Amino acid sequence: MRETVKLISMEGFEFVIDREAAMVSHTIRSMLTSPGGFSESKEGVVTFPDISTPILEKICQYFYWSLQYSRGKETEFYIEPELTLELMMAANYLHT
Amino acid sequence: MSLNKEKTCFILEGWSYIQKGITKLIKIIEGEPEPPFEVTHYMKLYTTIYSMCIQSTDDDYSQQLYDKFRQVIEDYTIYQVLPSLREKHDEYMLEELVTRWNKHNVFVRWLARFFNYIDRDFVCRRGGAILTLREVGLTCFHDLVYRELHSTAKEAVLTLIHKEREGEDIDRELVKSLVDVYVKNGMGTLETYEEDFEIFLLQDTASYYSSKASKWIEDDFCPDYMLKVEEYLTRERERVTHYLHSTTEPKIVEKVQNELLVVVAKQLLENEHSGCRALLRDYKMDDLSRMYRLYHPIPQGLEPIAYLFKQHIIEEGTSLVKKNRRVNELQDKYMVYVIKCFQNHTLFHKASKEAFETLRREGGIEKLE
Repeated sequence: MRETVKLISMEGFEFVIDREAAMVSHTIRSMLTSPGGFSESKEGVVTFPDISTPILEKICQYFYWSLQYSRGKETEFYIEPELTLELMMAANYLHT
Repeated sequence: MSLNKEKTCFILEGWSYIQKGITKLIKIIEGEPEPPFEVTHYMKLYTTIYSMCIQSTDDDYSQQLYDKFRQVIEDYTIYQVLPSLREKHDEYMLEELVTRWNKHNVFVRWLARFFNYIDRDFVCRRGGAILTLREVGLTCFHDLVYRELHSTAKEAVLTLIHKEREGEDIDRELVKSLVDVYVKNGMGTLETYEEDFEIFLLQDTASYYSSKASKWIEDDFCPDYMLKVEEYLTRERERVTHYLHSTTEPKIVEKVQNELLVVVAKQLLENEHSGCRALLRDYKMDDLSRMYRLYHPIPQGLEPIAYLFKQHIIEEGTSLVKKNRRVNELQDKYMVYVIKCFQNHTLFHKASKEAFETLRREGGIEKLE
């Protein structure tokens, strides 16, 4: 089991985050935990050709914020207004 | 998902892509040489379905995809699963059924992952009015495969259980897997297991032990008969833990007890040479304890034994009185039986008490001091 996973945006930006953080997304989680699985799940690389870099970055931040929140650190998660719509759609897509 | 409208998904193109993915999945399930799915491929399939769903302002595409999901499973079942099952018989058919059941579950699980968005969105919004994708998958198996084969499978399983009862070794894991198929096809209830399998098993059990009882009661003395009963009860209980559903245990035990102990009670207990009275005469403490153990769980099982116990005490006491011997030592002697063999049960205390009261009344008071 690898500790980190790599998420790649539409423009090719690579975000390396903790596996635990990535699993906040049910879609990513089901991919990483499929038994009898995927040939690349050992490497933990996922490309999102439809998600732009700023959105993917915000999503990664959200993952970490979500983990902290669930551990009791109840802060607020700020979303820039111009990102809201895309972010919501990405969250829906990723089942987050 | 970026609002990238250049990537408008044409339904036919999208579906054709999904179809290819499904074909690949089926190849993998069937064990054909096929490289495993790559992460990117999975994401693309998921995304294609996702895009198709969010395209429509009404639920038209989602409904179509939902229907296609069911159709894919049905086609797979009808064209590939059923033919392979129909050409096999007996134990081979059972093995194939278990294999197919497992493959079916893997197939549905993967397919449901590709179509996951439909579960989350379309199904969810219908608020329970329609089945989830997993439920659709299970229903397909139930309606197309289970319905056709459950009766034949049941016969084959009962044949195996009969073999095991007669001392042969059978594939217990296979039976366990099959029982699980019955349980799972009940979709949350045990009714399917009970109506399509258990009830027949119980009938078989009753007739099996009925014929055993007829034979043994002719051949064996009471103590040996009881030993056999104890042994077979243990074996049946063990059978349940190995491959039947736990709720079957009391039902099977009841059938065995009925055939081996209740139906033949009179013949067994009142047997002049080896029955209850004989055991009391000969101080057979172990056998009497066994008798108590076997009849205790049965409703009204102990009453006949208590009656025989009482009659025995009265007879013994009366013959002692005739010889002008004292009777009160008898009370201590029989108290030992009540404590050691009959676990201090009130029925036996009562039987003993009534017996000595009868002796007092009929024997005359002066003889008892």
